[in-house]
Amino acid sequence: MGLALSISDLRVTAPRGRVLLSVPGLEIPAGSLVGIEGPSGAGKSTLLYALAGLLAAEGRIRWGDDDLLSLGAEKRARFRARNIGMIFQDFLLFEELGAGDNAALSALFRPRRDRAALRAKAAERLAFLGLGAQISDRTVSSFSGGERQRVAIARATATDAAVLLADEPTASLDRAAADRLIDDLVTLARANGTTLIVVSHDAALVSRMDRVLTIRDGALTADRMTMA
Amino acid sequence: MSALWNGLSALSQDILMTLALLLPALIVGALVLRGYAPWPLVRAILWRFRVASALFVLLIAISVGMGIGLLAQERGLRRGTAQAADKFDLVVAAPGSEMSVMMAAVFLQPSDMPLLDGETYAEVAGHENVSIAAPLAFGDSFGTSPVIGTTAEFARYLAEDRIEGRMWQSEHEALVGALVPLAIGEEFTPAHGHGDAAEEHAHDGAHLEVVGRLAASGTPWDRAILLPVEAIWEVHGVSNGHAPERADQIGPPFDPAYFPGTPAIVVRSEALWANYALRSEFTRDRETMAFFPGAVLAQLYRVLGDIRQIMSLMALVTQGLVASAVLLGLFILSRLLHRQIALLRALGATARFVFAVIWSFGAALLLAGSALGLLTGVAAASVLSKVVTARTDVLVTAPLGWGELHVLAAFVSVTLLLSLVPAAFILRQPVVPSLRA
Repeated sequence: MGLALSISDLRVTAPRGRVLLSVPGLEIPAGSLVGIEGPSGAGKSTLLYALAGLLAAEGRIRWGDDDLLSLGAEKRARFRARNIGMIFQDFLLFEELGAGDNAALSALFRPRRDRAALRAKAAERLAFLGLGAQISDRTVSSFSGGERQRVAIARATATDAAVLLADEPTASLDRAAADRLIDDLVTLARANGTTLIVVSHDAALVSRMDRVLTIRDGALTADRMTMA
Repeated sequence: MSALWNGLSALSQDILMTLALLLPALIVGALVLRGYAPWPLVRAILWRFRVASALFVLLIAISVGMGIGLLAQERGLRRGTAQAADKFDLVVAAPGSEMSVMMAAVFLQPSDMPLLDGETYAEVAGHENVSIAAPLAFGDSFGTSPVIGTTAEFARYLAEDRIEGRMWQSEHEALVGALVPLAIGEEFTPAHGHGDAAEEHAHDGAHLEVVGRLAASGTPWDRAILLPVEAIWEVHGVSNGHAPERADQIGPPFDPAYFPGTPAIVVRSEALWANYALRSEFTRDRETMAFFPGAVLAQLYRVLGDIRQIMSLMALVTQGLVASAVLLGLFILSRLLHRQIALLRALGATARFVFAVIWSFGAALLLAGSALGLLTGVAAASVLSKVVTARTDVLVTAPLGWGELHVLAAFVSVTLLLSLVPAAFILRQPVVPSLRA
């Protein structure tokens, strides 16, 4: 089940003081699918990384009952490991590892008792995404872009994360691969009740979200529900 | 505490010392890796940087191997030369260079030396504490084998009575060392001199038959052909050490009036204290000098010891430089991994896990290089030993010793501790810029 997000007075500033992002308030119910759009450099990815606790920020970001910004760096890391899955534009896989090892990457730093279950879940996700056992041992360097991004999705969802944060997940894919990926991502998120927040310029992807936020010049300028 | 340590056997002390030297690395490894299994990532990183990794391992292996090989070889040389001099308790010769006499008498390196007369020999041989007084006669050769005249008693002592065939019974018979390419029953004629300068036909009238072979001793004497000293004297046209009425006698006692001279007398006494007394007694200005070859070797070892220290220092400096280069390389390679490191952080890996991955990468290089260096050092020492043995006939063996393992353990510990630095440095890299790069 997903986590609800509550933001208040969020401010992210550059080292020299320039405000990169300012969000006075935002509420996202658990299990929502939210798209974030806006021009390049508007602050979309900054919001995404702030939501993951990877940026220094002021204000409050509350996921469920946890106030992310009040946690230290290591507690934030543990929070991410438990609750957040991330997907990146250029996949960010370990090219030398197989699909299975990439998808189960988090098992390496999980408590020993959780590792086998996480690996099983990763294999299950890969199979769901069409990357069955016959190719899961191949190193991902031989994979197409679409296959790689599906491995990345398997990695993000293998931990049963309550929240998925995706930064331009279809930007490196051709249309056919992107469409298949959108289907997979949305299906998985809805099936698991995951809160999905996607930064994208891809209208096809954004249109599948429940809600779309628009960010310009570091500020939230529009917030609309879709008919998805 | 000191008494407890001194009460331990040498083996226990060596094992404990090795463990103590490795302890810092073991503690760091246990602390860094506790609860994590970063091996798939370490393997992936090693494979990604396989060329650079192989180069680093090779560099470490060469520097470690050089150090280990030098240390083992020096110890092997020391042991081999000491073993070669083992049978030469005391040597009496005309005053001159102890080193030259030792090289000639013990290591059979040709040298022009003044002779001791028959009176001196008789005095030495007749001394109450002397059990063996063997005159040596050098100067002839057969092929690459020096031909040495001496007494049957000394030949037996040298071979510890392990003689295949029999002892000579006339001045036309000879014993050969274990490495001499002559079979029992074969005849030969010695040449006058050695090597290229040898006069092959100078002793054409002398036909000698091999009647026995000495057991291998691991010394230059394995290459030697031993004759009754009378045979050497006779082929050189001088008196054979005995009065005409006893001209057929082989071996002592010699008649001082017919003793043509010997460059060195090997003296053995049954009692250790007697050797010191004999050395003192026969060390006389302008007449004789008496010395222990072992003591001369000890002086040589002191010089070698200084060289060993310099070589050890050079090896350590080389290892230090290589380790620094590898650590610098780790910095650079780790920076190339900044996106993967940022990914791990984004996925929720703790700083300690990321630290463990980078440290393990460096540790894998250092351990692989050290292990390969150990093998390289042992192999290099073995090859060098064979070369030295082939050239000098001094049996040099250079097995791995605890000293080398201590040096290696210290190297491993220090470098594994130092590789904490690049691992810590990586943690300072910002995550988000790397993810967005």
